[in-house]
Amino acid sequence: MIEPFTVPFMGRALTEIALLALICGPISVFVFVRRLSFVSDALTHTVFPGVVVGFVAGGMDGLFTGALVAGVLTAVVLTVLTRSARLTDDAATAVVLTAMFSIGVILVSRRTSYTSDLTAFLFGRLLTVTPRQISETAVLAAVILIALAIGARALTFRAFDPAGAAAAGLRIGRLDLWLNILLALVVVAAVRAVGTILVVALLVVPAAAARMVTDRLVPMAVAGTGLVLAAGYFGLLLSWTASLRYGVALTSASAVVLMLVLAYVLLLPLRRWRDRAFTGRPSPHELVG
Amino acid sequence: MNWWDDVMHRAVAEVVLVGALTGLIGVQVVVRRLSFFTMALTHATFPGVVAASIIGVNLLLGGVVTGAVVALGVAALTRRRGQDAAAATGVLVSGGFALGAALVATQSGFSRDLSSFLVGSILTVSASDLVVTVAVLAVVALVLVFCARPLLYAGFDPVGARASGIRAGGWDVVLLLTIVLVVVTVVPAVGTILALSLIVAPAAAARLWSDRLPVATVLAATFGVASGLAGLWVSSRWNVAAGASISLAATAVLVLSWGLRRAVRA
Amino acid sequence: MATAALRLTGVSVGYSGTPVVTGVDLELRPGQRLALVGPNGAGKSTLIKAVLGLAAILEGTATVLDRTPARARALTGYVPQTGNLDPDFPVSVRQVVMMGRYRQLGWWRPARAADRRAVAEALDRVGLADRAGHRFGLLSGGQRQRVLLARAIAAQPRLLLLDEPFNGVDAVSQEAIVRVLRELSAAGAALVLSTHDLAVARDLADLVCLINGRQWAVGTPAETLTAKPLRQTYGSSAIDLADGRMVLVEP
Repeated sequence: MIEPFTVPFMGRALTEIALLALICGPISVFVFVRRLSFVSDALTHTVFPGVVVGFVAGGMDGLFTGALVAGVLTAVVLTVLTRSARLTDDAATAVVLTAMFSIGVILVSRRTSYTSDLTAFLFGRLLTVTPRQISETAVLAAVILIALAIGARALTFRAFDPAGAAAAGLRIGRLDLWLNILLALVVVAAVRAVGTILVVALLVVPAAAARMVTDRLVPMAVAGTGLVLAAGYFGLLLSWTASLRYGVALTSASAVVLMLVLAYVLLLPLRRWRDRAFTGRPSPHELVG
Repeated sequence: MNWWDDVMHRAVAEVVLVGALTGLIGVQVVVRRLSFFTMALTHATFPGVVAASIIGVNLLLGGVVTGAVVALGVAALTRRRGQDAAAATGVLVSGGFALGAALVATQSGFSRDLSSFLVGSILTVSASDLVVTVAVLAVVALVLVFCARPLLYAGFDPVGARASGIRAGGWDVVLLLTIVLVVVTVVPAVGTILALSLIVAPAAAARLWSDRLPVATVLAATFGVASGLAGLWVSSRWNVAAGASISLAATAVLVLSWGLRRAVRA
Repeated sequence: MATAALRLTGVSVGYSGTPVVTGVDLELRPGQRLALVGPNGAGKSTLIKAVLGLAAILEGTATVLDRTPARARALTGYVPQTGNLDPDFPVSVRQVVMMGRYRQLGWWRPARAADRRAVAEALDRVGLADRAGHRFGLLSGGQRQRVLLARAIAAQPRLLLLDEPFNGVDAVSQEAIVRVLRELSAAGAALVLSTHDLAVARDLADLVCLINGRQWAVGTPAETLTAKPLRQTYGSSAIDLADGRMVLVEP
């Protein structure tokens, strides 16, 4: 079970996932309580044009900057759009997602290696992660975790009770922007290595699955991190075994996602059982309200 | 030579049909805030389509069956409101796509590659694709016209609707299944991203112009067709991806509507 | 003829087997007005939903106009709380009131002159005839409440249930609603309304039912809105004043 990970590229892939697990456990808790699944999904798609422009302008080095610019830009646009009514949140998110992604597609469609670019963007290149990418991820992870730790209390207050938070003097708009930019940073840190599909899963699934086991925020974050680690380990193992033993070209990113989703599905009944066992009779407020 | 033999002619016909179809359902999607559900559907039906192609049954059927399962699952989950529904939809997006991709990986000779799933291949529609789109357009139009009242009541005031004997939950499922049908029909031709774009953007633009559902629906269908034709023209003129230019044309309609509305009000 | 509009005998109601209110016993005759009084979360909405056949009756029997609640729906009307409705929904005031006629109209038969007249009359009665073309979400809270009342009237119910009809309602709207409710009961309709406003209950109701998880008292306002039953219902948030009156302090 350990043996595949002694191969250098497998070891590096696992290291990258471990770093992402550290960030995604805590940040996915906020994605969960603020219902930002769609925003996360949108961010993974909107960095695409940035990646393309960055690559064209500066090769592999430009890629990172391009993604960063596009990610932060989306975070700002989404925050502004969702705060200025007239368009509902979800419609605004959908439009930003499709428009930005289309710009990316138009840019790559002018080039010849069109489909391979898209596929790489979807699935990433987890098995070709370089030590340099790992150190970049590590730096971003540190930045994100520190920013999250500073804002955690205010962000939690805002998620639970927006009106109360505003009354207590918190700037809701800035907090929303803060969280959206952090999400964009996670996407930027992860997308090149693991692809969009896995990033969405990493942002949404850990806390959603952990919620089945606990309803307290810190244990949720810890359980989420543990879950990503486990899914990363078993997913990589699965993809390794599938391609070596059975000749099935299962991308490692898909395998990790499938492990995460499997955990979510397996934990679903647990939530049911917990609800019944611990809350007993639901509070009348919940039923009547 | 038959008019339908020309690739570009077929593409034009498909774009017009798809624009009308997505416009029709789009207003419901926007009004009921189902954009994310639609996005999830585009991804979650993917494994169904792949599986259907592997076992050799009709692709549309595979998509509709998977979509129906997903829609029922979402309907059951949204009864317990709150964070769980949003999160579960998110799980569907990533899980559905990963499962589809994994299935693709087991087949070395699968014809429709992943990127065409994302951006579609409007220039390869066949005459039978067109017939299917026409049929679905007719079905969706009939559902929206004949079930307008219960759909409206159930969407606006589910408890009040139930109190007056309309089964709101059942009508929600009807709406979700109609969206499934549209998504499954549209995605192979135009891809997931364009499907979402054509469903949401023209309808959101139409909502800016009218508070009346029928008016907004007609407007949305018109905007959808117009964006489709404009995008197709841009794509052939400057040789860029058709799906993406159509999607950007739809976005442009929305941005223009927004700007014009502000100008009109100010 | 003079059968009860609503008869509840030893009724417990709730969701998925969990009781929210227990031991409700009351009888309401046509033309009478019943106020369900209790604090937030007491189970007033659940009781109303049970009478509409939308929440389960776990024990006892409920008879609505000599039928089971679900079968009586064609004869009952319901005015929900406006707060749960989406103000962005593209629906005009006239359309909302027309929903009250959907039962007669079926799915798609076009509205006839009689339907349109009923809608116009209902809107006129609540004083909003001039707002028929507006979007529902553009009205004030009190006006929205009146539109929903008009929708219920348009169906000409024999039993009308209103869930907190005076919550967040301006004085003009409150007056209009009270006037319409009196007219309706004068014409023979039975009314059930939930409220946590004792003054409203005292002024408007013939019958008051105090509930909080269970029924604590039922009877005329003079019998029920007194110190002992109120203290039982509201617990420590009911405070005696020196002159024998009570005030309620929502915790």
